[in-house]
Amino acid sequence: MQQKIKEQIDRIRSQGAVYVDSRWYPNEETHNLTMWNGNLKNASATRESGIGVRVLFKGAWGFSASSDINNLPGLFEKALDNARTAAERVTFPVRLAEKDAIQGSFSSPNRIDPFTIPFDQKVGFLKKMDDLLNQPGVSQRVADLTFIRKQILFYDSEGSEIEKNIIEVFPSIGVMGVDADGQTHRRSFSPARLGDTRGWETIDEDLFTTEAERIVRELNQVLTADSCPKEERSVILLPGIMFLQTHETIGHALELDRILGYELAYAGGSFVTLEDFGTLRYGSEKLTARANATVPNSPGSFGYDDDGVPAQDNLLIDKGILVGAITGRQMVEEANATARKQIFQGSSGANRATSFYRVPIERMTNINIDPGTDGTLEDIIKDTEKGIVLDGDKSWSIGSNREQFHFATEIGWLVEDGEITDVVKNATYQGETLKFYNALSAVGDESTWEVQYVDNCGKGQPNQVMQLGHGVPVCRFDNVRIGE
Amino acid sequence: MTEKIISVLTKLRQFAIENGITATFFYHEEDSALMRFANSAISLNTNEHLVRLDITAYEGCQRASYEMITNLDAIEDMQQGVLQAGEIVKHAQPLNYTPTIPVYQETFIEEDAYDPNLAGISNDEKLAYFNQAVAGLESDQVKLGGIFSSGRNILVVMNTQSEHALAHVTSDAQITIVLSHKTLKWELIAEQSAQKKDDLDPEKIHQELSFLLHHYQSDQAEQIPLGKYDIVFGPAAIAELVSTMNWIGFNGGMMKRGYSFLSEDQLGKRVLGSPFTLVDDPTQVETFPFSQDLMGIKREPFTLFDQGVFKAFTWYQDDADEFGAEPTGHTVMHKSLVVSAGETPVNTLEELVKAPREKDILYIPYIHYMNFVNPSKGLVTGSSRFGALLLKADGSVVVPYNVRLTQSLLDIFSEKIAWISDGQVAYNTSMSYGARNPTALIVPNFVCVKDLEISHANSSY
Repeated sequence: MQQKIKEQIDRIRSQGAVYVDSRWYPNEETHNLTMWNGNLKNASATRESGIGVRVLFKGAWGFSASSDINNLPGLFEKALDNARTAAERVTFPVRLAEKDAIQGSFSSPNRIDPFTIPFDQKVGFLKKMDDLLNQPGVSQRVADLTFIRKQILFYDSEGSEIEKNIIEVFPSIGVMGVDADGQTHRRSFSPARLGDTRGWETIDEDLFTTEAERIVRELNQVLTADSCPKEERSVILLPGIMFLQTHETIGHALELDRILGYELAYAGGSFVTLEDFGTLRYGSEKLTARANATVPNSPGSFGYDDDGVPAQDNLLIDKGILVGAITGRQMVEEANATARKQIFQGSSGANRATSFYRVPIERMTNINIDPGTDGTLEDIIKDTEKGIVLDGDKSWSIGSNREQFHFATEIGWLVEDGEITDVVKNATYQGETLKFYNALSAVGDESTWEVQYVDNCGKGQPNQVMQLGHGVPVCRFDNVRIGE
Repeated sequence: MTEKIISVLTKLRQFAIENGITATFFYHEEDSALMRFANSAISLNTNEHLVRLDITAYEGCQRASYEMITNLDAIEDMQQGVLQAGEIVKHAQPLNYTPTIPVYQETFIEEDAYDPNLAGISNDEKLAYFNQAVAGLESDQVKLGGIFSSGRNILVVMNTQSEHALAHVTSDAQITIVLSHKTLKWELIAEQSAQKKDDLDPEKIHQELSFLLHHYQSDQAEQIPLGKYDIVFGPAAIAELVSTMNWIGFNGGMMKRGYSFLSEDQLGKRVLGSPFTLVDDPTQVETFPFSQDLMGIKREPFTLFDQGVFKAFTWYQDDADEFGAEPTGHTVMHKSLVVSAGETPVNTLEELVKAPREKDILYIPYIHYMNFVNPSKGLVTGSSRFGALLLKADGSVVVPYNVRLTQSLLDIFSEKIAWISDGQVAYNTSMSYGARNPTALIVPNFVCVKDLEISHANSSY
């Protein structure tokens, strides 16, 4: 098969294509198990295989994919044909940033392949969680396990050959309850990534047992709590909501395809312009953010992106100043040419596709906030006169240029004069991105820093759902509008 | 078109029976193409042919499924899938109810919404459509973006309980054309949904974009004050709000799980405004309808709200099984929702702008990134996008920077509804996540709602 693919790449190249690559997925498997109120509502397995072909011809892309690998010539021909049509409407001919031809491989670190764990054991875990969550005050309880295992073989016309074997594990539990007003509230838990691996061994039953008790307890506190006041306060975001804040208002805002207008038909653009790099004060001096695809235990680490560029650790925001973006080979060339200066030195290795039948686009890796020097969570609370601690993502809505946002959270704890007073329900906060990050007044130390994962990041047309991570500390922002 | 598929599924059915496996088969085949534009160029031109087979095995109250991407000639591969599903189900924990497996009385093939000319539309034709739709509208600063998503979609279901099959074949196109300003960052949109090739009308798109472009290039832009406005929603915004209601409103399973702003004791009561009538109407071919659901239940027009009175919840079969409800014929990939027209003869943006008004009206064509803040209260939030206008009482027009609306659906569709257009349009809501599933709602061209609060207003584009 490998030889046949290479022959097709050479053949299409000989027909005038500037660049050709293919991603062959011999096997991608998922397992998903969902137990809802004791019912195993979903026990499913999926398997898919196929090949996607990308052709660059006269400055335009064509792509074609099929699950039927018996007609490789036809598949490659179709991709070339699609590129030929696209070449009839080109405004900035696609060029690709330089990269080395790579013969490499990557395997996500794991000690226990979750696909080797007997089905009964997985169901047993869910049943145990369901029993733990089945407590007074809980009207709905959910326990979920999702596993992904895939092999990707990448070949391009520049001589790269890369094999990736990736395993992901996504466990979660959640509870819901109804308050005296008939409103439903929820509390959930997805474990932070600990250790250096990402296999079955990361599912720690003892931790889940502890956390199950905690989320039930906190749900019951929410059910009898008053509603969140509508006013301005300092908000202290725990990693369970800070990861999403980072994702939506730093990660997506700094995807270079969005900045260049390639997502305006759907996902949206960015308030960031090319002129902003090196000058824009994105946040206070306490804000340092990076795109780090080398974090071993996170789904945002994958060895090489789907341009065949190795994983990197790049600064995005340095002490508040915007310095970098999330990039692939195409966009850095266009950005540098458009800006008439070299903003970007090369691809940051963030061009990824969700499956063989989707084309790679700029995707987040692990968009992390560096830990700060403002101590522990307790230290930050003690230092807060009038605030609210928030945790758990319930709802999120962001402006099309990522310029403003509205988040709803699962739980809030009011802080008065350095102490937590009351739990509140229906806690929301909203703001404008730049104003918000410039009001960053405290960043927790290493003890508060956690790697959280996102397993459902949607972007692109046709739409793609991607897995990635965010390592974030506890952060405090001042003068934020909160309310129902 | 479906003959070979039914033949293969019949063999699989026989294989399952021979191996003692009770199973349902859900076959999905798509030929999808998407031409995407950005910065006035074709940024992506793609196609994919995918065959998915979802096999669900049952043992009494136990259920498990195995889904594979395969191809129709790989019968042995599919048979392995059947055995896999049969193996997994042995280890599945029993449900506390018995899932229903339908017994089809006859084979039913539905192809009314299929047009081979649309399904097979060529690259050149799509490019010509775009060129015509934006002729003369692009410039150094105003750039074209958008998609032409088209394809053929085949669903076939069969199971071991009967020898008959249900098949559903559609063609569809979803066209979105965006004009955006390179530096100011405003965006305008015009969209079209097609079920057959004759539905394509690039000239209509051109007219809509020309009108909006004129205002965005010549009218003053400003941050509007926070407060209450009479808001006119366009088709995209109406479709988004009604689709949300489909999710956290009249869905019986969601209601039972506490994720609905409607309750059983509201049945038969007026919970929305009297101008609001909503029907699931599978006779409307523009909605890519299912005449029978996947359980073989014949679908008829099904009233959800009649002049604001809540008439019924809809039930997926599995939810009906779990909660002891009567199935309503809604085990479908999508409903065929139709919001009734009103009586106001204002159906184009031009007519809306020219219509006399006593106070300022905010026109919101599209709600970006809407999410549920509090499902129990029907509270949603989202931002305006793609060509909002503030129509001043004095007849002038202002271009507002985008605003955020955080409101309850119960409020938006309440007696605050001031008027509804007497014309309707099919609005395509297909998502390109996962398997192709052409979906459209029929909605009025405009719905005007009085006194809705704006919770945030941008200070620039």
